[in-house]
Amino acid sequence: MIEMKKNKHPHFQKNAVIDEVVKSLLFGFALLSSSFIFIVAGVILVKGFSPFFSDNGGLGAVNIIKFLTGDTWLTGEAFHSNLYSVGFIIVSTVYIAILSLAISLPIGVLTALFIAKIAPKKIAATLRTVVEMLASIPSIIYGLFGAGIILKLVYNFSAVIGYQSKGGNSVIATVIVLAIMTIPTIASISEVAIRSVDKTLEHASLALGASVTQTHFKVVLAAAKSGIFTSAILGIGRVLGEATAVSLVAGGRRSGLSFDILDTTSTLTTIMLEGLKETSDLDYDIRFSVGIVLMVVILLTNIILNVVKRKVGNVDVK
Amino acid sequence: MSMLNKRKVNDGILQGITYGASFFSLFVLLAIIGFVFVNGVHLLNWDLITHNYTAVSFIADLKEGTGPGNYETDQVFAEGTYYSDKWGIALADDTNVQGKNVVLVVYVNPQSPFASLHDKGISTVPIPLEKDYEIIRIAFDGASSALSVQGAQNMITILDGQNSFRELEFSTSGGGIRGSIITTMYLIFFTLIIALPIGIGSAIYLNEYAPNNKFTRLIRLLIETLTGVPSIIYGLMGLAIFVPITIQLTDATGGNIISGSMTMAVILLPIIIRTTEESLKVVPDDYRYASLSLGASKTQTTFKIVLPNAFSGILTATLLAIGRIIGESAALVFAIGTTIKDTVKITDKSASLAVHIWAMMTDEPANIELSTTIAIIILFIVLTLNISIKLISKGMMRKFGANA
Repeated sequence: MIEMKKNKHPHFQKNAVIDEVVKSLLFGFALLSSSFIFIVAGVILVKGFSPFFSDNGGLGAVNIIKFLTGDTWLTGEAFHSNLYSVGFIIVSTVYIAILSLAISLPIGVLTALFIAKIAPKKIAATLRTVVEMLASIPSIIYGLFGAGIILKLVYNFSAVIGYQSKGGNSVIATVIVLAIMTIPTIASISEVAIRSVDKTLEHASLALGASVTQTHFKVVLAAAKSGIFTSAILGIGRVLGEATAVSLVAGGRRSGLSFDILDTTSTLTTIMLEGLKETSDLDYDIRFSVGIVLMVVILLTNIILNVVKRKVGNVDVK
Repeated sequence: MSMLNKRKVNDGILQGITYGASFFSLFVLLAIIGFVFVNGVHLLNWDLITHNYTAVSFIADLKEGTGPGNYETDQVFAEGTYYSDKWGIALADDTNVQGKNVVLVVYVNPQSPFASLHDKGISTVPIPLEKDYEIIRIAFDGASSALSVQGAQNMITILDGQNSFRELEFSTSGGGIRGSIITTMYLIFFTLIIALPIGIGSAIYLNEYAPNNKFTRLIRLLIETLTGVPSIIYGLMGLAIFVPITIQLTDATGGNIISGSMTMAVILLPIIIRTTEESLKVVPDDYRYASLSLGASKTQTTFKIVLPNAFSGILTATLLAIGRIIGESAALVFAIGTTIKDTVKITDKSASLAVHIWAMMTDEPANIELSTTIAIIILFIVLTLNISIKLISKGMMRKFGANA
């Protein structure tokens, strides 16, 4: 920033020493802050890999191939086994993430379009505040709302179509809770993207005879594609990493992959919280291994979506 | 013409969908607020905040040499409160925190035999009956017991007709969240003590000192990456690193408030750093030049000129952090544990308000009423913080103009 001129006067020398000390101290803080990502990753990796190599107190090492591809999760506590598999849970986690994004992306983007382009100033400001408030509500309250309202709705709905659901705990309840949690994230980021679309694009479209609505949908949204994609990436990150709220509505599933939206389910995060209050040993340590899988799934999703974004998002945005 | 009509219809449909989608957010917000209020508001009172969560019940009998007499009092009681002159005790019907009907002790005359009861098992331990305790039953020799389900008036009438009783069962009132409130406050305090210096220090370094080179960009990238890590993973890290550290250094035996605070501090670092740095960026360079040209050192300039002018940003960072601490659950479930405690110790397990909700909702049967009541409190705090942050940033905008 601003270079200091060296001065030989003792008073300045003393200040120069203090400056150096303060600078290195602050540098130390910055270094510490940036090192935590390595600590997080390192700890999860070391702790998470150990169940595959250690004897796990007589249960035997967990088979890593079975762990990644199998479709049964037996709690070692209850069954005295080392059979833990997250294969089916990985699939159901991704399935739930895609379904919830299919709900939250259109609603979030249209909300953003409305706030940025259509609504009168006052209504836009009100809705923007509403979105901000929704974004600040802690996830446990979304979970509570899901457990109190959405489970009942799902339960009653499945009763109507003659299906006995486990108190409403289901894929669809999980998807709905996650979708309403991600709408504010998607709406606020998409809104910024939509507002920054070059006005001349809109004028050109209108001058060519397109209606305002056509312009919004075919020109503005298309031009804001890249920003909308970013919002989707952040949204799916929240979906994949959400734990406590989901654990209140998923119902928990220990074996067998099911795509039935009224069936109970497990995600990588809910299985980490499952039976947490009374457990120890391998049954506890295996949660770190699930943590690795969760981080890899999030990382892969991010990479894939970013590649897609680069391929589709080449429109002039100011 | 027909093509234009078709376009009108299409436009109309698209517009309709857009309007519907936009008001869905409003609908969801109102539904959530409505849900927590309808379910939780009847438990919201002062007792909830001051009471313990676990109710303890006692069985007591009369101390030798004490008994009924004339314990008149000049206390004035509200309607629905019944006082026995003979026993010196006032009872009333009430609903406890869980919504159950109970008989509540309103007043105990200091001379009353109820003020000097003994534990029936170990009859040397005095357990005086106190205000706000719940009476479960009073058993007599040769008469049927007075039960709380029959109401306060009935209990007083039966008591007045007796000259002694065999045993009295009563309990302290439970279902309160005092312990969880204290835990949450401890968490906020310790987390901020750890996170603010490191976060603000890092932000100052990055904005005021760091050279614009690859290494600095790497540091920024690494800090930014922290925001993408889900909180449950931080919880695991806290469990694997901070819990053992605190066990080594303190008398803790497992997850505790300190290990939870350390974990929360790591979660909050990127937020604090980003918010503080943004506010440092807004302070005009003229301020720095002016200070330096007057002979102040770089350190003096940074801490006496730049930092005070970035105060509102640091305040925003602090409020954001508080909101996040109050709402966090997944990380704390691992880093502290889920045990709901009434006696809170910073080197022991206990539950914050959000974890309290999670613990009750994963119990069988789930306690939705008390959970929604806690949710009202959390929502109120979080939304208030949100509004304060908005006001602060408006003030900042006024101070430094449009670049804020």
